[in-house]
Amino acid sequence: MKILVCVKQVPDMESKFRVNDGGKWYDEADLALRMNEYDEYAVEQAVQLKEQVGEADVTILSIGSDRVKETMKKALAMGCDRGVHVVDDTSYAKDPFEIASIIAAFAKDHSFDMIFTGMQSQDRGSAQVGVLVAEILGMSSISTIVEFTFDNGQVTARRELEGGLKAIVKAKAPALMTCQLGLNTPRYPTLPNIMKAKKKELLSVEVATLLQVDAVQETTRMYFPEKKGGGIVLEGDVGNMVNEIINILKDKTGVLT
Amino acid sequence: MTVMEFTREIYWNVGHGAGTLAPMYALTLVSIAVFAWGFLQRLKVYRLGKPLNRTDNRGARIVGLLKDVLLQSKVLVVRGPGIAHGLFFWGFFLLFIGTCLILLQADFTDLFFDIKFLKGTFYLYFSLILDLAGLVAVVMLAGLFVRRYLVRPEGLETKIDDAIMHGLLFAILLTGFFIEGARMAVTELGTPLASWSPVGLVFAKGMVSLGEESLKSLHVGLWWFHMVLVVGFIMLMPFTKFRHILTTSANYFFADRGPKGNLTTLDLEDEDVETFGVTQVSEMTWKDIFDTDACTQCKRCQDRCPAHTTDKPLSPMKIVNQIGEVAFNNPEDNLVETVSKDALWACTTCLACQEICPASIEHVNKIVDMRRNMVLMEGEFPGEEVMAAVEHVEVNGNPLGLGYASRGDWAEAIGVKTLADDPDVDILYFVGCYASFDKRNIKIATSFVKLCQAAGLKVGILGKEEKCCGEPVRKMGNEYLYQSLAAENIELIKGYNVKQIVTTCPHCFNTLGKDYRDLGFDLPVEHYTVFLEKLLTKGSLKLRKDSFDCTYHDSCYLGRYNDVYEQPRVLLDVAGAKVVEMDKNRSQGFCCGAGGGRILAEENLGERINNKRVAMAAETGANMLVSNCPFCLTMFEDGIKGLGMEESLAAKDVAELLVERLT
Repeated sequence: MKILVCVKQVPDMESKFRVNDGGKWYDEADLALRMNEYDEYAVEQAVQLKEQVGEADVTILSIGSDRVKETMKKALAMGCDRGVHVVDDTSYAKDPFEIASIIAAFAKDHSFDMIFTGMQSQDRGSAQVGVLVAEILGMSSISTIVEFTFDNGQVTARRELEGGLKAIVKAKAPALMTCQLGLNTPRYPTLPNIMKAKKKELLSVEVATLLQVDAVQETTRMYFPEKKGGGIVLEGDVGNMVNEIINILKDKTGVLT
Repeated sequence: MTVMEFTREIYWNVGHGAGTLAPMYALTLVSIAVFAWGFLQRLKVYRLGKPLNRTDNRGARIVGLLKDVLLQSKVLVVRGPGIAHGLFFWGFFLLFIGTCLILLQADFTDLFFDIKFLKGTFYLYFSLILDLAGLVAVVMLAGLFVRRYLVRPEGLETKIDDAIMHGLLFAILLTGFFIEGARMAVTELGTPLASWSPVGLVFAKGMVSLGEESLKSLHVGLWWFHMVLVVGFIMLMPFTKFRHILTTSANYFFADRGPKGNLTTLDLEDEDVETFGVTQVSEMTWKDIFDTDACTQCKRCQDRCPAHTTDKPLSPMKIVNQIGEVAFNNPEDNLVETVSKDALWACTTCLACQEICPASIEHVNKIVDMRRNMVLMEGEFPGEEVMAAVEHVEVNGNPLGLGYASRGDWAEAIGVKTLADDPDVDILYFVGCYASFDKRNIKIATSFVKLCQAAGLKVGILGKEEKCCGEPVRKMGNEYLYQSLAAENIELIKGYNVKQIVTTCPHCFNTLGKDYRDLGFDLPVEHYTVFLEKLLTKGSLKLRKDSFDCTYHDSCYLGRYNDVYEQPRVLLDVAGAKVVEMDKNRSQGFCCGAGGGRILAEENLGERINNKRVAMAAETGANMLVSNCPFCLTMFEDGIKGLGMEESLAAKDVAELLVERLT
């Protein structure tokens, strides 16, 4: 069985963000980088599937500059077998369709039985790449999965719907899953596996050899949300607070007129 | 008084011919052979462990051995049973010396050279001292018997070994007095010599009515019985807790000679090593196994263990005993499973067990070694919150998960620069994670800096370049992450021309000052209480006395790990504190619950340790609980809120109190 996992390196969300000079993305200074949270669930599920079926080879793919190798090493330490680094110093400027096309261009000759991606990335959050890859490759996809079972080529997944609903969806491999929080608890890599990961194959591919499409989206500007007036917290006697609310509603809104 | 040579006939009534000596020495040889065979069997088990050099520094080791054995210095720390044991030991030891002297004269100096030294005044004192030594030993043994069998304190495990030991020792001592009494009844009653054996005299008077013939046959019978008991004692030594006479004493020689509480720095570069940490006896050192034989189950560690006394499934004593069970009975068993993960994760590495142990056993490293196995080999943590905190440390260099780039933000307001901006400073303040990011603890950082500035010192920090010292993750078992953090911090600090490092966190202090030594770091590191106390003595720091009441908590990593007890108290005194000590203070201080990486973990089992410590502080009647550690302060703030004591008790750090009193 051949499994592909796509991971993205993203800034830790606690970082100090600044808009970059071009005004279209964030500045990289002072950012702590890590594996996209949802991709961790994807890696974990791929490794669990490998452990379940026994004979499987898990490829990890990541697009970006050299620094993404650090994140790939973590995936290798978690149990993936080999890595493909698509070298692209401006991956952040590419739209989800371009990214999906790059992945699909790599995947099409490798006949993967299963592909796992994160449900979305923590930085761009488009939630499109996974499903676009499946569409380009012409394979089934189930998005936002929170439960996964695999039995003899048959996938049964529970996926999240709006309003707290869940749906159980079945698909035949080959299929692509986009993974959501709650699917599993990503393992902590053991030291022997961290050591082994350093020796695993990590292939570099130039992005130009895989990118054959043009962007369909354009980022025009990136900016922080405008600061709006702060909220008011009323405290004290309930009767007084009610009067205060009525006054505010009278003064500042038209609901009581 | 007639000039009479005080002495007695050795082997009186028993005879000194081959008929006595041959069976006597045959028995002795048999007992020594069994003794040696028994210990050789145990030696084989010690050898299951890995090598560890504990025979360096022999002079100091021998001094330590003599002090701890002959003066019973560790045993006496706990007064009641300690004094009973000490007195019993001295009594029995004198009787042993006495027996050796008799052997020396009868079967050596007298036999070969006609030299007798057990005579005259020396004999009188010899007689008196041995007589009283026997009495003291019997009385102390009786006291220990009452403690063990009649008013047994909670947790004192009593097994067949204890019954054998009490029975045999009583029998040996009492038969000794009966033998003495019988001999004196025949030979000494009415002579001035008799009063030099007052206890024997009592026995003699009680027995004299039996008549000489009966006394003589009783005497010879008891003499051989006594002999057999002693032979039994020697033979049983390897097979019962009697072995502690040898193993505990030897452990004083093999004791860890510091730095206190140091853990092995694993070699993670060695590619031949495939397993890390300990899960099998064969992965421990021989000393770890030997420790299990030195344990006398006195339960002093257990009584002081903050986890055990708050109903968590951890007893340092039990862990040591379980390791022994596995080593001697099922050496293939999985130690982590045997000891239980919950027990291992419950340890706060507070070192109270090791500090009090009268057998110089090292508990904490065993626990951390097993944690290392869980983390490094299984990727396991006590809870998801700990794994998350560890990942935060990996990504942002702090367990709180806050962006690394804001680590130095607190310092901007008070004009402290990073070494990257201005490396020319008097001291590098290694701030640590809590004082950098935690709002409550930032007050400690600013207080310390203001105190230094008032003393005319220029302080620099590392700011966003600083990373967690690695202490909590190391104690949780993640040696790999600890070493990567340490390597980064060391390289960074070495890149600046730093003369002196000061920390406000005792965990950073212990780690930079001691643990980093194994990784090639040798700059002087001080905890701020020690540093400020020096400034005060020098006169560069001036404080206004403004009296207040408080109680003071010795953090484990400043106290037990580094023996700093006085300097913080001096600072408090100068500030005007009237310190009401808690019962458990200084080397017997009770942990706040945050050590050993437990600051990262939820406390789900038993009573909360911090609540217990806060309650102890409240008992003193003081309205302020002063500590010297950001972890302690965090735990106490939580505990005070948890117990709803905000009105009556405030948690403060020493630095806060001092800064309020700057002149």
